[in-house]
Amino acid sequence: MDIFLQLTFSGIALGMIYAVIAFGYQLTFATSGTLNFGQGEALMLGALVGLSLTGNVMGGPYINYWLMIPLVMLFGALQGVVVERIGVQPAVKTKNEFGWIMSTIALAIIFKNVAENIWGKDDLTFPSPVSAAPFKIFGANVQIMQVIVVLGALAMMLAVEMFNRKSIYGKAVVATANDSDAAGLMGINTGQVVTFSYALSSATAAFAGVLVAPLTLTGSTMGTALGLKAFAVAIIGGLTSGVGAIVGGLILGVAETLTGYYISTGYKEVPGLLLLLLVLAIKPSGLFGKTTIKKV
Amino acid sequence: MIAVAGIAALALFPILIPNPYYIHLAETILIYAILLFGLDIVVGYTGEVSLGHAGLFGIGSYTAGVLFFKMGVPFALAVPASIAVAAIFGALLALPALRVTGPYLAMVTLAFGTIIGILINEMTFLTEGPLGIKVPKPSFFAHKLNEVEYFYLVAVLMVLALIVVNRLLKSHFGRAFQALRASPVACDCMGVSVYRYKVFAFVFSAGLAGLAGSLYTYSEEYISPNTYNFELTILFLLAVIMGGRKTRSGPLVGAAIVVMLPSLLSDIELFRQIAYTAAAIGMVASLWLLAKKRKTIREVAVPLGATVAMAVFSYKLENIIDWRLTIFGLMTLFVVYYLQDGIIGFLRGLIDKIWPNALRKHDEYREKADEALAWEKADYLINASGDLLHANQVLMQFGGLKALNQVDLKIVKGTIHGLIGPNGSGKSTMMNVLTGIYKPTAGAVEFNGEVISNLTPSTIALGGIARTFQNVQLFGEMTATENVLVGLHHTFKSNVLDVMLNTKRYQAEEHHARIRAASILQFVGLADMANDEARNLPYGKQRLLEIGRALGLSPRLLLLDEPAAGLTAPDIKELVAIIRKIREHGITLILIEHHMDVVMSISDIVTVLDFGQKIAEGKPADIQSNRKVIEAYLGGDAGSEGHIKSPAMTPNPA
Repeated sequence: MDIFLQLTFSGIALGMIYAVIAFGYQLTFATSGTLNFGQGEALMLGALVGLSLTGNVMGGPYINYWLMIPLVMLFGALQGVVVERIGVQPAVKTKNEFGWIMSTIALAIIFKNVAENIWGKDDLTFPSPVSAAPFKIFGANVQIMQVIVVLGALAMMLAVEMFNRKSIYGKAVVATANDSDAAGLMGINTGQVVTFSYALSSATAAFAGVLVAPLTLTGSTMGTALGLKAFAVAIIGGLTSGVGAIVGGLILGVAETLTGYYISTGYKEVPGLLLLLLVLAIKPSGLFGKTTIKKV
Repeated sequence: MIAVAGIAALALFPILIPNPYYIHLAETILIYAILLFGLDIVVGYTGEVSLGHAGLFGIGSYTAGVLFFKMGVPFALAVPASIAVAAIFGALLALPALRVTGPYLAMVTLAFGTIIGILINEMTFLTEGPLGIKVPKPSFFAHKLNEVEYFYLVAVLMVLALIVVNRLLKSHFGRAFQALRASPVACDCMGVSVYRYKVFAFVFSAGLAGLAGSLYTYSEEYISPNTYNFELTILFLLAVIMGGRKTRSGPLVGAAIVVMLPSLLSDIELFRQIAYTAAAIGMVASLWLLAKKRKTIREVAVPLGATVAMAVFSYKLENIIDWRLTIFGLMTLFVVYYLQDGIIGFLRGLIDKIWPNALRKHDEYREKADEALAWEKADYLINASGDLLHANQVLMQFGGLKALNQVDLKIVKGTIHGLIGPNGSGKSTMMNVLTGIYKPTAGAVEFNGEVISNLTPSTIALGGIARTFQNVQLFGEMTATENVLVGLHHTFKSNVLDVMLNTKRYQAEEHHARIRAASILQFVGLADMANDEARNLPYGKQRLLEIGRALGLSPRLLLLDEPAAGLTAPDIKELVAIIRKIREHGITLILIEHHMDVVMSISDIVTVLDFGQKIAEGKPADIQSNRKVIEAYLGGDAGSEGHIKSPAMTPNPA
């Protein structure tokens, strides 16, 4: 029972990471109808840049973990702008349906390869900013970092929601998401809003990267699987629902740690992907998404 | 000509270049080409991005490998088995593809590919996991094939695959694939089931991937799980797009490039030379474009900067292997932005510019066209006398909104029935209910004495109801003739085998359909534009083409949704004549239209909808003086003394 509980706790921490990345997909999908297939690579770059600042891989540490976070998010935002300007904007302009899919994938491959050449192919350890000694909840071991992950992820999503609801810039984002053409006619620079949403999305991913890095190994290959599973989460929860992302993330995170322990670690990616296929075959709008009726 | 030269080149290749390394390379190109023919069906024709083809390729490889390894199954059985197993997985993959498209489907196929990769790695009892499986070259009658003999075997299979795929894509199957991409709704309403043909496209594509996979197993003589990874999937996609979609030569060119790419990239000197040349070409081209004022500095800055950066990068570069993936990614970006139609598409564009008519199809059918041939009795019998269609208390609810509220509609056989009402009154919703696009919340629709409101749109269409759309839903990239041929899809009784073997039956059907398509185009006055792509036609002609396409179905009931919207006055006159002629041929019509003069002059009966309810029905003259109708159009009591005067009160079309 203790083991089960412990697996559930680590599943929740993992699930919240998925939820944050999925949230990033939702941000860009809402404003532009496109998403970054290299979201996982944005996370990986965030984690590696963070590691270079706080770890000793690049002659550091230069700065402590908490001060590093805003810098990494700034880096993430810039990376997001690059992706949007090079990968998405020109492709959307040419009205080529799968142009942006291919170009964001191509950028993801490039980012991964560049990271491999800078930081090497081996996985690195990320120094934990807090004590690694676990404490007990209902007899199960919980790491402080896991609690930080859950809180950090929630705080990030909450901050973005507040921004969207309370600030005038956030209203521009929501307006563009609702009806891009109408927003444009009201004087909102929708192109800028899309760029901004990519910056925000990648910053969120980079933030997720430095959150998850102390719990796992850090390296150029860490992003791809995370990105894919977070997409599964976004779909399971519904691409339009923030709550959906959290619920989907938790379902997937727990399912994965349980599979990893009770069946085999080799199979731990499978339940999420199967769930994705199932949801899409049965209710493509996701558990919390609204079904839209196509007008003819 | 090209075909003969190609086959000769294949036959002579091992003799001219006896180096086993190059023979093996050429063999791999041919194997990839087989897979790419299949991938092109999904990517080029149905327009979906598949990131799962490396997985299907792996399934093919491992089916052959495991069958040999565990049971010693010979080549002649293992290859068909690979095709079958991959095809079954293709059908599985098609299930989500029926519900979603675009980025969703891309991710689904990616998830599928990833799962296959994991399964191959983990199911060690079957696949030996990371250890891999060794398979020798196939033997026939105790003779083990050597590399050259196997090359010929692969070459023969590639040519066969090429012929089969080419025939399939040029037939009504290929047209169905393109139609479901361009407009799934219109495709269904032409009696071509999107469901069926999407599954078929995936199954066929997967079968080819299975064939390629099994050939790859025997070619490499050793397979291991990490071959079938994400990188391979992207490589396949890159090859299809770079070579040129919707062509047979494109996949061959693409395969040759991606197979030779790694060997090219391993030679740093060669790579540097290529990069320098590209930079030089980029520089000259940019200067020329700037001098001619064809492009602004801003437009040329990105590609020029990229090529120059590439040259500098290649000069600094010491170990090219490490940067292989970056170069590969940059190539993908380049292809996506500057070579969307691929190398073959680019060459075709050039040829088109130099000799404008070289690639034009000859229209031998035009002379055989005859308006009388456009009309053909359908195979179904119309029993009902009196009411052809009866919508009984139809309720259509979207959330809280009742778009149609208990509407009764009876269409008398052989009439033109006008359906009018202000914007948002539920006219188009009625069309969608009648053609099965919406399932009514309550009530039923009977056509020819049978309930049809529970049938799929394609079944209803095949039952004899055709329609046009308010916002034109043509298959844009297909020619006018091809659009009509999709409407004629139901006249084909040939199955896949007929098409693959090019039987007499199929040839006769195709010939017949083309003559009829030409006749229909002549009837709607588009004979001169038969070879033009639908998207390039003027708006008014597009509306006429939609009518022509619908006539291909040999309908008993034709629903026209605002056919006169956006038409000029002379065009409208032509349209009215066409509608009258259609009725003379025994086809009943329902006409939604905002041009009151059109509706009132040709309708036998007019029904008026307002806020989802039927407020009046009767002869045009009675409707024009009906108080309720006038109120609905002008609001309040404005019409107490009024009389609808045409065409002054024509509300804007939605």
